[in-house]
Amino acid sequence: MVGPGRQERSWIRGAQGGSASDLEALFKEHWPRAHRAAYLVVQDGAAAEDIAQEAFLSAIRNLDRFDRKRPFGPWLHRIVVNRAIDWARARSLRREITETPGAEDFDTGDLGTFSDGVAAGLASLSAEHRAVIVLRYLLEYTPGEIADLLDLPRGTVNSRLRRGLDRLETIIDRERA
Amino acid sequence: MSEDLRRALQKIQGPDELEAERRAWVMVRSSFEEREPLTWQQRNRRPLLLAAAVLVVLLLALLSSPGRALVGSVHDAFTTEKAKPPAPALTALPAPGQLLVNSSTGPWIVHFDGSMRKLGPWWEGSWSPNALHVAVTRAHRLAALAPDGTIRWTLARNRTVHGARWSQEPPNECCRIAYLNGRELRVVAGDGTGDGPLRNVVGPTPPAWRPGSVRQLAFSTVDGRIELVDADTTKTIWLTDPGDVPTQLVWSEDGERLLALGERTLRAFDANGHKLWAIGHPVGPSGVVFVRKSHRFVLIRYSTATLRSDLVLYQAEADPGEVRFLYSAPGDFGTLAISPNGNWLLVGWVNANQWLFLRLTPSAKVESVSNIVEQFGGKSSAPLEKSFPKSVSWCCPASP
Repeated sequence: MVGPGRQERSWIRGAQGGSASDLEALFKEHWPRAHRAAYLVVQDGAAAEDIAQEAFLSAIRNLDRFDRKRPFGPWLHRIVVNRAIDWARARSLRREITETPGAEDFDTGDLGTFSDGVAAGLASLSAEHRAVIVLRYLLEYTPGEIADLLDLPRGTVNSRLRRGLDRLETIIDRERA
Repeated sequence: MSEDLRRALQKIQGPDELEAERRAWVMVRSSFEEREPLTWQQRNRRPLLLAAAVLVVLLLALLSSPGRALVGSVHDAFTTEKAKPPAPALTALPAPGQLLVNSSTGPWIVHFDGSMRKLGPWWEGSWSPNALHVAVTRAHRLAALAPDGTIRWTLARNRTVHGARWSQEPPNECCRIAYLNGRELRVVAGDGTGDGPLRNVVGPTPPAWRPGSVRQLAFSTVDGRIELVDADTTKTIWLTDPGDVPTQLVWSEDGERLLALGERTLRAFDANGHKLWAIGHPVGPSGVVFVRKSHRFVLIRYSTATLRSDLVLYQAEADPGEVRFLYSAPGDFGTLAISPNGNWLLVGWVNANQWLFLRLTPSAKVESVSNIVEQFGGKSSAPLEKSFPKSVSWCCPASP
């Protein structure tokens, strides 16, 4: 993980000192990807909003302890993705949904067959597999970094990535056919 | 594949992304403003020194009254309140008035001194304007009762009757009751005469009489529009755009604001039916009640991520304003009612089988009462979400 840019360090310093405008800059920089990552893992708009929001609130509660030399994104993404996995597990345990989520849960708009296939493929994966796919291909972490973020052995991350990609490819090919 | 996948993931959008960001920013900023940032010196001092300094500050805050005042002032209403063990029974209400409780065993009246009376084998009830009567329903029957349960009159309809609501009572004029006969909206005079239909097919939301008027009634249509109708002429006064079909329609006490709470959206309208704003909220237990003599209101907001319910304060003005947290607890909040003097908020905490009484002014205070289901004749073995009282109205004037 590369260190934060000068601009981000400045926002964090300002936010730690009480500047709402610096906090807003930090929020606007990181919210879209955090929210989307949560959405792709939990496949529920309201839950994704809650998870990303709770992650930011948690980050704010711990802002004073944050080391400015470290990047903010991984810190936030660790919270978001772990909470999203927890939520998805809790949902399946509590049987809040009765049907397996399908591709219609994603708002792909008119994006073409490939995106539809990705949406369908993601929906067919477990939350744990979705999480590594999202961390790798949306948030662009290396497998080693994902292992750190999720407290998993690197081999487990690699195998989840492999299996997830295989599954996605199968479904995308089916959609294309 | 990798590059295609990356692009595809970036294209998939969550629903309502911009609104979600806006709502989240309101929360984040509110939370940020509540925190007390450390100074540079505090942040850079050695940990032991810092811990010692914090300990001293905490001790000072606890021991000195100015310290206590400071601690109290930086938090919203209830964050510093120490939890007291709940009372085992409701021995008195914390503010004057009486409650009408729609429990799983039927409607009950609770007096200021804590005495209770079950109104009979009815399913739900609502207060008349001065608590002289209660309109009750059960299956196909609507009735007006005296508070001691005596039936004044009753009428039967061909479908399930529900959502009865009593209009205000102006001088020298009889009040009315609006109710739903299945999906048909009907109005009957307060003495049981002149029953007739107002609209043939409407939404399932209980109608809401506009305060300050005996004629103007708000209801929802099947596509989630809100319509204000003159009950005398049956003419539409205004009609909104379609939206989330509300579960609750609530007027402010002055009749100038109307809230329509749906499963996913809360909409606020002004007196002319113009939408002030709409905000999304997670699907889950919810409820709304206006603060007395105000356009501010308390909303139950359930978080599916944390499985907690928050009470938050907004305002029904052109801008909902910065959200303020009032209280939070794990599980579901199910009912809200505000005392006639406006000082206390009753909150049903379903999972804990408790009612919480939150004092809003002059200073924050929380009192809780347990065993709510059992006190209203429910079975403690039944699931709480089914046996806990569904609604409470605190009279008079009654909270919606």
